[in-house]
Amino acid sequence: MEYVNPEGIREDGRRPLEMRHLHAEIGTVARADGSAVFEMGNTKVIAAVYGPREVQNRSQQLNDQALVRCEYTMPNFSTGDRMRKPKGDRRSTEISLVIRQTMEACILTHLMPRSQIDIFVQVLSADGGTRSACINAATLALADAGIPMRDLVTSCSAGYLNSTPLLDLSYFEDSAGGPDVTVGILPKLDKVTLLQMDARLPIDIFENVVQLATEGCKAVANYIHEVLLENTKQLEYRRGL
Amino acid sequence: MVGLSAGEKHFIQGGIAQDLRADGRKRLNYRPIYVETGVIPQADGSAKVKMGATEVIASVKLDLARPNPSQPGKGKVSLFVSCSATAGPMFEGRGSEELSTELSVALQRCLLGGKSGAGAAFDPSCLSIVDGKLCWDAYIDGLVVSADGNLLDALGAAIKAALTNTRVPVANVPAGASLDEDPDVDLSSQETTRIDTSGVPVIVTLTKVGRHYIVDATSEEESQMSSAVSVSINKERRICGLTKRGGAGLDPSIILDMISVASHVSEQLMNKLDSEIAAAEADEQDT
Repeated sequence: MEYVNPEGIREDGRRPLEMRHLHAEIGTVARADGSAVFEMGNTKVIAAVYGPREVQNRSQQLNDQALVRCEYTMPNFSTGDRMRKPKGDRRSTEISLVIRQTMEACILTHLMPRSQIDIFVQVLSADGGTRSACINAATLALADAGIPMRDLVTSCSAGYLNSTPLLDLSYFEDSAGGPDVTVGILPKLDKVTLLQMDARLPIDIFENVVQLATEGCKAVANYIHEVLLENTKQLEYRRGL
Repeated sequence: MVGLSAGEKHFIQGGIAQDLRADGRKRLNYRPIYVETGVIPQADGSAKVKMGATEVIASVKLDLARPNPSQPGKGKVSLFVSCSATAGPMFEGRGSEELSTELSVALQRCLLGGKSGAGAAFDPSCLSIVDGKLCWDAYIDGLVVSADGNLLDALGAAIKAALTNTRVPVANVPAGASLDEDPDVDLSSQETTRIDTSGVPVIVTLTKVGRHYIVDATSEEESQMSSAVSVSINKERRICGLTKRGGAGLDPSIILDMISVASHVSEQLMNKLDSEIAAAEADEQDT
């Protein structure tokens, strides 16, 4: 199967090093402390943050830091074929865990002991890269909620098909069975917080692909900076500053 | 949700009694309604409806299937609603089951009609491909993204918009194909047909607070209700479904009065929705 044609164009018309179109909105769920919608091409994800608030389950309370919880759900209609079990299936549980660990590493939890921060991520439309879109949406939602963080966390995926490293895989390219590398970084601190890969890659090509995904993360970080800056200007304007 | 103090409760009840609600509306005014169609690219039809801070998404997906032997000329329609955890931590895990079931059943009652198919929102024979052998199964899914009261009305509006947005692919079954196994259905023609949604009813929920009824309650106002009646009414001002919620008993004359008020309000809501849906569809065509 040809994923990159001889002229170097992918199935959806992009070049190999081109990301999909990014779009983000902050503050969409009015009742949440922080919320955001993040779109990467056709993948659309909404994240809502509730907290810091009192811990609901006393036995889980931590006396020196905040408890971070995360739930990832995909509704029936988000994928091409209608899914049976939207919550609690193994993939959702795994992704919830991944998002929680990634965000927990960057939230300054020691500033909010004995409290709980809930991150709920809902996939509205899935077209590859849902994990990355969820992390990006969660970062924006946490920023909207005003929760102190070390740095933003941004994420992007990359793969390797037809001997070409490809940035930001769509579902079609992801389901080809080639390697899929997801990277999450803290852009200012220049540190990697998440690295996942499936299938197999020779080591030198692996380094290239991870480098490509990291570049993608930095591009997402620039976009997120702009969105947050714009949002702050709007807030200043509304307050008459 | 943070609890209300005695002063706040008094303020809400008093405001409603004086026809001036907390956000400045009159008792029978809806919040501004915002409709956007085609929000889920993978679905055959979808819509997002916002009423104030309440936001819901509805999607319609079509799958090829065999029709019910008792109704060979019609497709099957099923409807489910779920509440996303983004609407509130109380919907996390299995917390949303009770509310989701309540909303699903109320909507099924209003929109899917009786066992014989009488009174359904739209005619499922438009989903039939080959009589008795092949039809489209329509799965209507509702998702509550943000909850600030009046979920049933918003879901009803979103489903109406999603059905209007739905494009049913034209399936060509080659003549003479054997229809006992799965036939080769040709879906390559890009033609689509639309579903006639002129008969889809709107749902108007009247919430009784004290001695007065309000339309489009926010969740704070709903917390003060004694009971609520949701009426589903179509263009011809006929009632397609009725649900009463809340523990307080209602005098039959009050219920009849609520139904007539709902009927009166539904006309405005129907016109407003139709124009918003048409505008949303036109916007979608342009992009």
